[in-house]
Amino acid sequence: MKDVILLMVSATLVNNVVLARFLGLCSFMGVTTKVDTAVGMGMATTFVITVSAMGDWALETFLLAPFDLAYLRTVTFILVIAAAVQFTEMVIRKVSPALFRTLGIYLPLITTNCAVLGVALLLVEGRYGFIDSTLFAFASSLGYSLVMVVFAGLRERLALAEVPMLMAGPPIGFITASLLALAFMGFSGMSAN
Amino acid sequence: MLESVAKVVALEDGTPWLEPEPKASCSGCLSLAACGAKGGGLRALAARRFPLTDAPALRIGDRVVVGLPEGSVLRAAATAYGLPMALMIGAGIVAETNGAGDGGGALAMAGGLALGLLLARLIAGRLSGRGDLTPRFLRRVAADGACAKH
Repeated sequence: MKDVILLMVSATLVNNVVLARFLGLCSFMGVTTKVDTAVGMGMATTFVITVSAMGDWALETFLLAPFDLAYLRTVTFILVIAAAVQFTEMVIRKVSPALFRTLGIYLPLITTNCAVLGVALLLVEGRYGFIDSTLFAFASSLGYSLVMVVFAGLRERLALAEVPMLMAGPPIGFITASLLALAFMGFSGMSAN
Repeated sequence: MLESVAKVVALEDGTPWLEPEPKASCSGCLSLAACGAKGGGLRALAARRFPLTDAPALRIGDRVVVGLPEGSVLRAAATAYGLPMALMIGAGIVAETNGAGDGGGALAMAGGLALGLLLARLIAGRLSGRGDLTPRFLRRVAADGACAKH
C-alpha cells in the first residue's frame, strides 16, 4: 500500500505532467479561463487517460513486447487513445444525452492532447503491472487536473486585477504559469528525503 | 453563468433547436484546418444539437447566447467521469490489497466502471429532470456580432 501511495504522490506532484514534464500545455493555456471549464476538461482527461492506459498496458504486454514490435508503439497508442475518446463519447451519450451536450465539447480536444500520449509512453518506461500502471496513469492525470484548476483559479483572480495593457492576456498567463511551475518544483525536494 | 454562442438550425413545433458554435482549445493558428482542436467537425456538432424551451420567437439562422448555471459543468463532470472513475479505481485498489493478480484487478476495475456508469445514469436522470443540465436563453447576438439584450 505504501508503494501505491508513493507512486501516486510522485506522479501527481513531484513529476507533474504539466509543470514538470511540460505536456498538455495547449489545453493548460486554452481551457483555464474559468474554474468550471477547467474541472470539466480535467475530469474528462483523467477518465480518458486512465481508460486508455489500461488498453495501452494490455497491448504492450500481450502484443508489442512479446513480438518485438516496439517501433509500432506510438502509432498503436495513438489508436488506443482515439478509441478511448470515441468509447467515452458513446458511453456518455448513452448514459445521458443531456450530460453529453454539457460535456461533449471537451472530448475532441483530448484526442489532440499530448499529455495522454505522454503518460502512455511513460508507463512503458516504468514497466509497471496492470494495477500499478492504471494507478500511475490516474495519478498523473489527477496532477494535470489539479494544475488546471489551480491555474484557472489564478486566472479568474487575474481577470479582476489591474494588469498593464501590454501584459494583459497570454503574457501575464505565461508569467503566472512559470511561477506555478517554480512552486511545484518545491515538491521535487520530497524525492530526496 | 457559463455562456456560449449557438445558432438556430431547426424549428420543431415552434421549439428552436440550436447547434453550439465550435470553439478551439487554442487561439487558432495557420494549421487550424488540419487540426482536431476545433470541436470535432460537423458530425460532432450535430450530435450536440439541443432544444431551447425558454426562448422568445427565434428564426432559423438566429445566433443567441445561451448559458448554464454555475456549478452545472462541475456536477455533470463529477457524475459522468468522477463517479465511474472513483468506483473503478477503488475496486482496483481493493483488488490489489487483497492480492488479486492483473487479471483479477482488471475484472474488478471493469465491474467498478460498470457500476459507476449505472449510478451515473441514475444521477444524470435526476439532474436532467431538475433542469440543471438545460441551457437557458440569455440574449440574442446582433448582426454585427455584438451581444444585444433580447
